Amino acid sequence: MSLYDSIVNKIREIQEISVEKEPVTNLSASAILAAEITLISSILIAAIMLRNINIILMIVIVLALFVALIAATPLMPRLKKEQNDSFNNMIFYVILALALILALFYWGVRNV
Amino acid sequence: MNSLIPIMVILPITCALLLNLIHTKERAVKILAIIVGIALPIIPLLTSYGLHYFGGHAPLINNPVLAQGLPAFLTETVLNIYHPAITYIFSSAQQLFIFILGIMAFLVIFTSLNETKRASGVYAFLMFMGTAAVTAILLSDDIFNLYVFFEIAALSQVGIIIASNAERSYETALKYLFLASIAAPMLLLAVAFLLGVSGNVNITDIIYSINTGLVDPQNPVLLMACGLLFFGWLYGAGLPPFHTIKSAVYSKALPHGAALLQAFSVFTFVAIAIIILRIFSFIPLAKIFIIVISLLAMILGITMALMQTDFKRLIGYLAVGELGYIGIGLGLGTALGITAGLFQAVNEALITSLIFIGFGTIFYKTGISNINKLGGLMTENPRLSFIVILSGFAMAGIPPFNAFQSKLLLVQASITAGLPELGIIMVLLSIVTFMTFMKAFYTIYLRPKPSDLEINDKDIPKATVISMVVLLVLCLILGLFPQIATSFLEPFAQGLI
Amino acid sequence: MVIDVQVASFFTAAALIVLGLFAALFIDNLIKKVIGLAFIADGVNLFLVTLGYRPGGMVYIFLPGMSADIFTQTASYPLPFAMVLTSIVIGASTLAVMLGIIIILYKKHGTISASKILNE
Repeated sequence: MSLYDSIVNKIREIQEISVEKEPVTNLSASAILAAEITLISSILIAAIMLRNINIILMIVIVLALFVALIAATPLMPRLKKEQNDSFNNMIFYVILALALILALFYWGVRNV
Repeated sequence: MNSLIPIMVILPITCALLLNLIHTKERAVKILAIIVGIALPIIPLLTSYGLHYFGGHAPLINNPVLAQGLPAFLTETVLNIYHPAITYIFSSAQQLFIFILGIMAFLVIFTSLNETKRASGVYAFLMFMGTAAVTAILLSDDIFNLYVFFEIAALSQVGIIIASNAERSYETALKYLFLASIAAPMLLLAVAFLLGVSGNVNITDIIYSINTGLVDPQNPVLLMACGLLFFGWLYGAGLPPFHTIKSAVYSKALPHGAALLQAFSVFTFVAIAIIILRIFSFIPLAKIFIIVISLLAMILGITMALMQTDFKRLIGYLAVGELGYIGIGLGLGTALGITAGLFQAVNEALITSLIFIGFGTIFYKTGISNINKLGGLMTENPRLSFIVILSGFAMAGIPPFNAFQSKLLLVQASITAGLPELGIIMVLLSIVTFMTFMKAFYTIYLRPKPSDLEINDKDIPKATVISMVVLLVLCLILGLFPQIATSFLEPFAQGLI
Repeated sequence: MVIDVQVASFFTAAALIVLGLFAALFIDNLIKKVIGLAFIADGVNLFLVTLGYRPGGMVYIFLPGMSADIFTQTASYPLPFAMVLTSIVIGASTLAVMLGIIIILYKKHGTISASKILNE
């Protein structure tokens, strides 16, 4: 089985769990694959910016992220499931974001 | 003429209220809406730069007649320069933004009056009210005034969603309003905190008190205010975690309504980000936070756009993703970066409207927004589909269109600021944006037509085509002569840092 | 023990905001959710009013014959009160729109459970 087939199977598996009724077409499979690669590569490139803080920290984090992201593929179907239109999900993330922002600005600025 | 500054806000509000009164008289609605719509982009061009004090209450230092005979604790302290009235600032950047907003409001109202069978005064009311609110957000130097118009903008956006009558539009509107009633009080709390530490709601005065040491910059209440202001900004602009609701909002509105809604988001984004940069530029975390959240918006928005099967939702996510480019420019904090970010804001507002209206014609002809059920529409109207694909080129940043110039500036700015990684990510995501757009374009226009697809024989209204052509020409002009826009934005960016 | 009115009000405001967020997050009934959201706005309004309070202060009306020095030393701060009035009006209109939409949704779905209406 080629790599592409195994990825499509994996996507189908996850979509079955998340009760999606849409068929897995060639187009949607390649779109998910492209999204996946975009996500991983942009996160890794963004992590390189940590070099401004500490270069060793950057190397460790980039390697760790790389391993973690590759191990967790496919991420996109899961991410899509998290970012659905259910209000409970939305408000959970909104209040989480509020708490994080306040904590970040209250402690982050004073102690760093 | 300085007295025209408040007219930019008062005229659309008055027009909106009048439209609401005469909403049954179709002809009168049309005439009034078109006249005021034409006036909207013209007024900012005629207005000269300056400040406007509501009620004429200038600071004491500018008002020697009043200052005579007042006790020393008023004239010889900071109270002498504080602004007692609500103040509007009108400078070069505001001129460009309000001009663009006016053009888009005019085109959208013009299109909607022609597309709907019966001209609705109430719908035009909502659009004028939203335009007035966003104009005021751009102009206001008074943070409480900003909050008031922030709420008005949220309410009129909810109205525009409901007016579309799309499936589940009420549910989306309610969700949006629920989130608004969390975010807006948080913005008010930020205003209250700033008032508490500085005794002032005027942004210039708050900056003055921070810079002169009247307020301790490390005061925890000030830092909390910064965080809460950021939270309000996330909501107003539709950045994560609000990107899901914002894209849903765009997809539930009518196509031209969505075009206006995204313009509101873009300009609210810019206005509040500028305020944050002005007040809190002394906190390094603020700029880092802007960059991180913009990156998150770009990555999540564009990857989620790839996953969508509803083309309205797809463009909605793309619109959210493209917001990140503006944020990166502003977050870099250099003059070049801020100029590029603001230029990108202008471009994005134009291009995304064009795409919304362009794909809206598909919805107008078929009533379907699921791309799996569409296909072969190229033969229906080849000229229109040519404009749509050009808009896709523009969004991806292909020369000679405007986004090419601003994205180039952004990449240059990120390299000169010592963060070339941001440039790489921006280029990468531009490519993915184009791919996403092409996915939608291919499935809608190019592939064979499904046999069960029904296309009604309603002609696309002339107004829609005219709006698209005007927007495309604007994109082309700004792409060929970017200095038209940057000459407005550069002095403003220089003043910010 | 006498608790300062201002401090007590600040705590009440904070409690209202936290309660409102809790309600928005956990309560399923849409009307109760709206009440919770109104709590958030009320908490912020209370905070603003408390900001303008001055212990032992007087009404901020400058009458003829009054000494300016005494006025500035004792008058409470008027700006927050003006702001709260505006904010209450805005809050009321938002509340009205929310309740209006809920009525329509109730007619459409026959329920006001958030998890049934707002989850796709």
